[in-house]
Amino acid sequence: MSDWTITVIGFVVIVAVLVLLEILARRKIGRIPTLGEWLGFVMRRPVGRALILAGWLWLGWHYFAR
Amino acid sequence: MTAGNVSTDEAAPKRAAANDHHPVPLSGGDARGQLPAGARPARNAIIGAAVIGYAWILGGAAPFSTRALVEVLLPGAVLGVIAYARPPERILAPESVDAAGFSYWIIAIALLFEWEASAVRDNRPWHPSLTDLINPLIAPHPLKTAAIVVWLLSGWALVRR
Repeated sequence: MSDWTITVIGFVVIVAVLVLLEILARRKIGRIPTLGEWLGFVMRRPVGRALILAGWLWLGWHYFAR
Repeated sequence: MTAGNVSTDEAAPKRAAANDHHPVPLSGGDARGQLPAGARPARNAIIGAAVIGYAWILGGAAPFSTRALVEVLLPGAVLGVIAYARPPERILAPESVDAAGFSYWIIAIALLFEWEASAVRDNRPWHPSLTDLINPLIAPHPLKTAAIVVWLLSGWALVRR
């Protein structure tokens, strides 16, 4: 197995874990918050809101302006 | 802070309960007498077409160009103005989240950043970064447009939080 494949598998596994967490949260399995819930919680404070929105803007710049 | 939970304000739940006079969640309808979002198909269709059109235009901008930069910053500015001057009906954020449940997210996201950082640090073709993998996928104009639409919608979702 090449290094390239291992790297890609690593990304796929991590993204799959993130998706799994969201599924578990929506099915109320355990006490895992959904993505929207914890983002909303973080954004209760202005600093958290600014950081999250800055991250969103950075993603747009990184993928669509570069 | 309660045991097992991460909370920003102990008194907040009581205040929220005292202020909650609405028989239905604010996110479902509009407490100011407006129709819920789903009941305005013509308006939603126009906004949807505008978003897709804007995404198509941005998707056609040359990388590293001033035009691309401005067209990315513009939605951020618009959302910032909307959030500040005329905020939409917000989805109520939870007063607290379970610390253990939240930590699973943090660990997974930290792993993602670590994996990405190792790829960026190596900077070798056989150790691609997430950007190296995603950029070819969204290179076709329609797919890039779709990705931009998702990005714009996620920005709107964040403003509503």
